[in-house]
Amino acid sequence: MKTLGLLQGPQTLGKGKPFWSAFTLVVALACAYPLFADGYDVGNNVYFFNWAFMALGLSLIWGYGGTLSFGQTAFFGVAGYTYGVISINFGDAYGLTIFALVASVAAAALLAAALGYFLFFGRISGVFLGIVTLSVTLVLERFMAQTAGPEWRVGAARLNGYNGMGGMPSLTIPWFGSDIVLFPDVQLYYFTLALLIACYLGLRILVNSRFGNVLVAIRENPQRAEMLGYDIRVYQLVTFIIGSALAGLSGVLYTSWGNYITPASMGMTAAALPIVWVAVGGRSDLTTTLIGAMLVLAGFQALTIHGSQYALVVMGALLVLTVLIAPRGLVFGLGTLVAALVNRKPKRQGE
Amino acid sequence: MTVLFSIFSFLYQTGDAFAFLVLSACGLAIIFGMMGVINLAHGEFIMCGAYVCAAAARAGLPLPIAILAGALAAGFAGMVIERIIIRPLYDRPLDTIVATWGVSMVVTQGTLILLGSTMPGTGTPFGSFTVGPYSYSVYRVVLMVAALGTLGLLWVGFTKTRFGVLARATIQVPHIAQALGVNTGLVYSLTFGLGAALAGLAGGLYAPTMTLVPTMGSAFVVEAFVTVVVGGADIFLGTAPAALVLGAVKASLTSWQGQLAGQIGLLVAVIIVIRILPRGISGWILRERT
Amino acid sequence: MKKTLNGAMTALGLILLCSAANAQDPIKLGVLEDQSGDFAAATIGKVHGIQLATEEINAAGGIAGRPLELVIYDTQSDNTRYQEFMRRVLQRDKVDAVFAGFSSASREAYRPIVNQFDGLAFYNNQYEGGVCDANMIVTGAVPEQQFSTLLPYMMETYGKKVYTIAADYNFGQISAEWVRNLVKDGGGEMVGEEFIPLGVSQFSQTIQNIQAAKPDFVVTLLVGTAQASCYEQAAAANVNLPMASSVNVGQGYEHKRFKPPSLANMYATVNWVEEVDNPQSKAFVERWHKKFPDEPYINQEAENSYLAVYLYKQMVERANGSTDKEELRKVIAQGDVCYDAPEGKVCLDPKSQHMSHSIYLAKVNEDHSISFPKVWNDIKPYWLGEVGCDLTKNDPSEQYTPSNLPKAAN
Repeated sequence: MKTLGLLQGPQTLGKGKPFWSAFTLVVALACAYPLFADGYDVGNNVYFFNWAFMALGLSLIWGYGGTLSFGQTAFFGVAGYTYGVISINFGDAYGLTIFALVASVAAAALLAAALGYFLFFGRISGVFLGIVTLSVTLVLERFMAQTAGPEWRVGAARLNGYNGMGGMPSLTIPWFGSDIVLFPDVQLYYFTLALLIACYLGLRILVNSRFGNVLVAIRENPQRAEMLGYDIRVYQLVTFIIGSALAGLSGVLYTSWGNYITPASMGMTAAALPIVWVAVGGRSDLTTTLIGAMLVLAGFQALTIHGSQYALVVMGALLVLTVLIAPRGLVFGLGTLVAALVNRKPKRQGE
Repeated sequence: MTVLFSIFSFLYQTGDAFAFLVLSACGLAIIFGMMGVINLAHGEFIMCGAYVCAAAARAGLPLPIAILAGALAAGFAGMVIERIIIRPLYDRPLDTIVATWGVSMVVTQGTLILLGSTMPGTGTPFGSFTVGPYSYSVYRVVLMVAALGTLGLLWVGFTKTRFGVLARATIQVPHIAQALGVNTGLVYSLTFGLGAALAGLAGGLYAPTMTLVPTMGSAFVVEAFVTVVVGGADIFLGTAPAALVLGAVKASLTSWQGQLAGQIGLLVAVIIVIRILPRGISGWILRERT
Repeated sequence: MKKTLNGAMTALGLILLCSAANAQDPIKLGVLEDQSGDFAAATIGKVHGIQLATEEINAAGGIAGRPLELVIYDTQSDNTRYQEFMRRVLQRDKVDAVFAGFSSASREAYRPIVNQFDGLAFYNNQYEGGVCDANMIVTGAVPEQQFSTLLPYMMETYGKKVYTIAADYNFGQISAEWVRNLVKDGGGEMVGEEFIPLGVSQFSQTIQNIQAAKPDFVVTLLVGTAQASCYEQAAAANVNLPMASSVNVGQGYEHKRFKPPSLANMYATVNWVEEVDNPQSKAFVERWHKKFPDEPYINQEAENSYLAVYLYKQMVERANGSTDKEELRKVIAQGDVCYDAPEGKVCLDPKSQHMSHSIYLAKVNEDHSISFPKVWNDIKPYWLGEVGCDLTKNDPSEQYTPSNLPKAAN
């Protein structure tokens, strides 16, 4: 019960009945959504959900931990390719794709542990850390882009270089009778939604716990945290691993959704995008990050569909305006505004 | 004799890589290194300089004037952007990422809409010369000279002129500078404009050798950033030696194993150098001094 | 009697009404092309080609009496946008066919989705060859069409020592493999091979390597605007060697973008360029410039896109107005779906669903004008059929390469 109590706390926005009622309402609407939306919209929303995990992970690392990691796409790519390699080699029977999912996220976490050790125990911080993580993701991209030849294979799975690896089976849940293949449709929607809610609530508990409090203390003033006896490198490393594992989860879900993964997912533009989504929403809170990322993704897509050649101009202008008008994030600004209105104390008589 | 030819070839290739890194990075070294603004629109200032230079050269201006025109245009654009967008963000470096990314999108797409997907180039001047079995382009040597010249002029400018001293003071201790009556707003604008103008200069210098498309800045951005960060906060004690080290690594690997090795090797070198010197090269040198 | 007549008239009226309504029902064509981002320079023309063909076809009464309607999305040179919009165009807009893709990566990104929804997609770009997929119709040129014409000519004219510089990814590596094999078959010698990662724009070392190897000519398979800078830099260093390419000039119109004489002595095998000099081609160029006066250049991909619309029209009309994929494939299987395109006569091959091409050897002169020393007509896309791809018999939905051949059927 005490753990559940950590669902709200000083590190996350939103507490009490109004917030949780709103939350339940949103979840209910999300569950009911496939009933009144067509197949395209359901699959498209799953596509947006896929990226949400990366945004949440970056919020943890950057918003709560204060570490700007420019290379989350490296873990996205590593997990995606690992999923492809495992599922192509072993197939999708007996729930092996679920094993592939877990193993791929674990591979991303392992890489994060190695890189994180290198970074935090090497006392690399600030913008230097950003550049090192960016270099890592670019090295992976450049390397993978030239693996087109037939010698680049892991078992039966060809890496296939710049053209990308395709042909991997989608996530399949073993079921009595026949397996449920999670195509971008209703079943995948619920699967991803359930994962998203679980991760969101889990992260809320994490950041409101003692771990989260120490993390924020490290973000605010690393030397003070160290003087209080905390080994900040361990906390930063663990945060980095968890956040990068979430990026890896995004990678696996994306690869399964489109049956395709490519080195371009680890390139410069791809690396900058999560930072933009998270910054627009408000990186220091999970809820605002989530809402902000969804809004930016959906908004940019809508602009591209309807805005023809002006879409990119409008998107760029929106980003600039966001930063100038709402410095802590657009959704964060809105959120605090709403919170202020809701929590306004009623005027007492006679004052 | 062959040894001499090989030595010349090695020096040429290293100098070529060094010039590319210095010219791409010095503008960013001022904007990022000195002012702390993470300018993801750096490539667009370069593109601006390249486009203006190419347009001016095609209109008949001699190439050196065209290059200067490119630099000035980029500088002016930089001052405008600084005033409107960057000014409120000086103590929020991470927000400059989003703002400048937005500027980059607007400028790239805007150029595509207004000027089309490609611009015809100007040819490379000065022809070639031969050393031993190879012929080399004279213009690339000109670029190396330009890189060294730019560094020299910057050093003189920042240490010997009044503006340079004021700029460094304003950026390091703005409140004291203001208390002493310095127009800090103007100094910020001019310094940012200088950084943008240097980017434009790089664009103008390389314009005769490259394809001119709105996204051409992306060829410079990554290497500029890694050079500046590896260098650390100081341009002369940081960016220049970083460009030398990274340029040598890139040139050697490229000549030994090919372009892919050069590219990956550069990035791996970045990772290693930052691991050994977590505050960059200039951070290490300056701490050594004190 | 009157009642029967009334009933008959009503029935007839209803039938006429229905067929009239059906006749007005447009045929929808999805267009997913990069109109912004890195690839825009080469692909904006493709959209224009499709628009020009649509305008002409609608002015002449449409396809089987139905107007042709375009649903255009800008994929921003981003593979994820191809995935998003292919789903949208097939599931939401429910188009009858899609014209999509420039880079091979984008094609491989959207192919699983086209297969999932059993749609029909046209890939109108030259590429490395090998796609054996019943849901794809490929009008772009493939290596056997471009290299088996180019390399023997170059070796005969200039000599047998060849140096290849290629973009370091699938297209470049597979094309280089074709070059290697053809050079060996022709008794030549590869004196060097260099692979350049995409996005590289500085070539000083490569230029030196070429000079060290002393080839008779250089095969340049450079892709993307950054890599094209090599020509300018090589000319500045006075390398002065003839060059052979399957991808430059025809796709990226470098001879218009770089100052002469940087591309002098470049030989490119293209299936069409703006400079082709026959009456039909000239008339086509004129119609194009009337509709799009600001077009910097009409490249071969734009011409492919234009003629692909007409091919589609022919297939639908020969299938009695049906846009069903299997009906159209039956028409293709008849083996004579051909069209009189600006490049010449082109035909669809039933086994691979690729297209035969006229191949023009375009030589860039000192002033960057183009002459055509040789023209080959009706070069078929024979390789896929030779290695065992037969879409009239089965649908593997795979991409094969010379080192990844179909398993021999037993």
